Amino acid sequence: MKKIVIVIFLFLVILTLGACEESYDKIPLILYNEIDPYILEFEGHILNEAEGKLEIEVFDSQNSQLLQNEIIEEVLEKNPSIMIINPVDRLGAYTIIEKIKEYDIPIIFINREPLEEDMLLWDQLYYIGAPAENSAAIQSEMIIDLFGAPGNLSELDKNDDGIIQLVILKGEQGHQDAEIRTEVVIEKLELYGYELEIISIEICDWEKVIAYNRMNSLLTTLDKEIELVISNNDGMAIGAIDAMIEHELFVDVNEDGVIDSETDIWIPVLGIDGIEEAFEYIELGYLYGTVINDSQRMSEILIELVEALLNGTGLDELSFDLIDGKYVWVDYQRYEKD
Amino acid sequence: MFKLFKNSSISQSILIPTILIVILSLLTVSLTTFFSYQMTTSEIAEDSSKEINKQIILNFDNYIESVINTANYIQQKTIEHGLKNDNAALSDIYNQAAEVQPDIESIVLIDTAGNLIISSSYKDVSIEDLTTKSWFLDAISNESIYHFSSPHQQDIFIDSTAEVITVTKMADYYIGGNKFSGIIVVDINFSNIITLASTTNLGDGGHLIILDEHDSLIYSNGDSCVPNNCITLEIAKDIIFGGESVEVDGISMYANVNNLTATRWRLATFVNTEIINQTRNSNLLIMGIIFISTMIVTMAASSYISNRISSPINILKDHMQQIEKGDFYQKIEIHGQKEVVVLTHSFNSMIEEIKTLMNKVVQEQREKRKTEFQALQSQINPHFLYNTLDSIVYLSENKMNEKVIEMVIALSKFFRISISRGKNIILLREEIEHAKNYLLIQKIRYNEKFDYEFIVDEEVMDYKVVKLSLQPLIENAIYHGINTEYDQGKILIRAFKKDNKLMLEVEDDGYGIPDEKIEELYQNIKYKQNGTSIGLRNVFQRLKLYYGDNADLIIESELDEKTIVRLEIPLERAK
Repeated sequence: MKKIVIVIFLFLVILTLGACEESYDKIPLILYNEIDPYILEFEGHILNEAEGKLEIEVFDSQNSQLLQNEIIEEVLEKNPSIMIINPVDRLGAYTIIEKIKEYDIPIIFINREPLEEDMLLWDQLYYIGAPAENSAAIQSEMIIDLFGAPGNLSELDKNDDGIIQLVILKGEQGHQDAEIRTEVVIEKLELYGYELEIISIEICDWEKVIAYNRMNSLLTTLDKEIELVISNNDGMAIGAIDAMIEHELFVDVNEDGVIDSETDIWIPVLGIDGIEEAFEYIELGYLYGTVINDSQRMSEILIELVEALLNGTGLDELSFDLIDGKYVWVDYQRYEKD
Repeated sequence: MFKLFKNSSISQSILIPTILIVILSLLTVSLTTFFSYQMTTSEIAEDSSKEINKQIILNFDNYIESVINTANYIQQKTIEHGLKNDNAALSDIYNQAAEVQPDIESIVLIDTAGNLIISSSYKDVSIEDLTTKSWFLDAISNESIYHFSSPHQQDIFIDSTAEVITVTKMADYYIGGNKFSGIIVVDINFSNIITLASTTNLGDGGHLIILDEHDSLIYSNGDSCVPNNCITLEIAKDIIFGGESVEVDGISMYANVNNLTATRWRLATFVNTEIINQTRNSNLLIMGIIFISTMIVTMAASSYISNRISSPINILKDHMQQIEKGDFYQKIEIHGQKEVVVLTHSFNSMIEEIKTLMNKVVQEQREKRKTEFQALQSQINPHFLYNTLDSIVYLSENKMNEKVIEMVIALSKFFRISISRGKNIILLREEIEHAKNYLLIQKIRYNEKFDYEFIVDEEVMDYKVVKLSLQPLIENAIYHGINTEYDQGKILIRAFKKDNKLMLEVEDDGYGIPDEKIEELYQNIKYKQNGTSIGLRNVFQRLKLYYGDNADLIIESELDEKTIVRLEIPLERAK
């Protein structure tokens, strides 16, 4: 009898202790929004890379900083060894840094770069991303190749006025990438001496559906011919293309199922990111080209960095450069139909 | 713990575990209920204050978003019209945009030197150098984001008293096809922020504060938080973001801090949660009352029950102790539990059975004693008869007819008394008569070689004695006490009362017996079954059988003087 009581007591004690001491050895990956196809793909790459090395737990902030804050609070209670965060609002990242700093947990930011001053708040902060201006520069190179010399534009200058009439699909207002991509592509083109007529800068929050709607309403009222569409990402480019197909800006004249640059009606649309759908659209000739945001490479780097931080093996022998001990820049890659 | 119950009474072993179990289960139930209730109420309060915070944040977010949308729209139009070389239309667009949102005081585009390019207002621009304004410095410090200033008196125009927040962002504009960098300056009326903040009820003392990235207070609507003296600002600073229970001025509150999207600001709400403490206290009180009253009821009930069970058993126990002391003559009547009544019945029948058995044993013992007694008495007769008949034969041969007659009469009397119609207890008178007959016979047999004398108190003659108790002593005296060949021996027989006992003495004046011999005699008489001194032992055993320890046989002797054998027996008068 006495023994049973002791056994029960011990059992309870162990249970309580067990509940307290449960260690959390997963790596939390807190994404800003899983609806974003690029993010979804990025997530897939990360999980692939991590397989057999690390266990990653994915959280979706559903594009709400409030929700993301709640997720972070929840995750902090589990006391993870590292946190990977894709902030919803880059301006608010300083609060995330201040908060997690108190728990002494290193943070790797991805996709959205916190303000430079915020990245200086602590030495356990890392950012893996692509230099935004690099993607825009590559886009501008593609445009140069398409339109030819500034003084002597190719047949893509449909009204032959020597000016490129263009529409820009901008991501989220205030998003660093959106701002820089928009800014730099125009800057570069002007630098090369092109005359541009920006018909519209449509702010589409990175989203395909918004881009579709914006382009749809723009085309309904527009009295000009668009000669070029520059999008800050593939999703918006595809949304816009869908609207343009409905407005017969793409016509498969010979009905071979593919838009042929020689024979069919088309307008060059340029995206960034290189998501799966974009490659399909490129294959079919709707999307002229994209700039691949190399999420595969970023995922490799991310996992390598996480492992290095976890094992404490030092950051000197990494296969990539760690600029200022914080930044890893992964260059974009140009992609178009060969 | 279990040893504790081993020696306790029934009522203790009912009372203690019952109370322990009740205490334990009550404690468990009350504590779990209390804590789960406490947790639930805390959670509800936490959740609702989180929801309130979210709602406020969303309101602010929406508001900020609308301001940013307006600014984005202006920015877009500025570029659009600039690209079309149509900047003249921009004033109207700025004006309209400001009018659509009534809380927008003004929308102004200035160049990086602080000169006005486009304005939504007719007011004159301040003559001060705009490039020194903090909002200007903010704007150029990071060109990719919107900057929100602290509330201040509008300073972009002359003669403005409006309190505004200035939202700025670097923006491109075109003049004559050339791109320039400028700053869009949107002044929003601060009163709108106050309206947004004051619509939510945060409870007594509840309030909200807004702080910027340097943890400086932007706005507060609570009395406990004024610029330069804000307790809640410190709390919000520590929390950074998220929720926590805190105490402000002795009032418990739930604090929530969250970012305001698209700004560097944070908004903290402090919701009064004093109600939780109140419910906790009243819960504690109720639980305490329930606990104590349940304890009292349990103790009363269990002690009543345990008493009901144990009292009949205790009565039974007392009776058993009585029986242990030897009192078999009380019957127990117990009313109570069925088991105890049954037990009592069984006990009664057991006692009944024991009594019967005991009586039977006593009866059997008595029978056995009687049998032995009779056996011992019958041992005397043949031995003596044989000798007497021998003597009578001898007397007849010598023609001593007188003697023969005398002897036969004595023998006849002797046997009549010996038989005594089967009685074992006779009057002393009869025993004396018997002894006299015996002596008469023996005296003739021994040729008058000894003499004898009876000294008997008349008063003891009617006491009862065991039959044939005197004769063996006399026989012993004749055979061992006197020298029948040389001397004229004398035998004295005395009967008297002493120390409340009847004393029967037979004294002879023979050689006497040495002390060690007396000791040996005692041994033979009192403890051995066989051996010499059959006569004495026989008497002694019969005395013991009849009287128990109250009778005794004593031998006293003086060498060459006398020997006295004395029987001490209890007085028992004839009825």
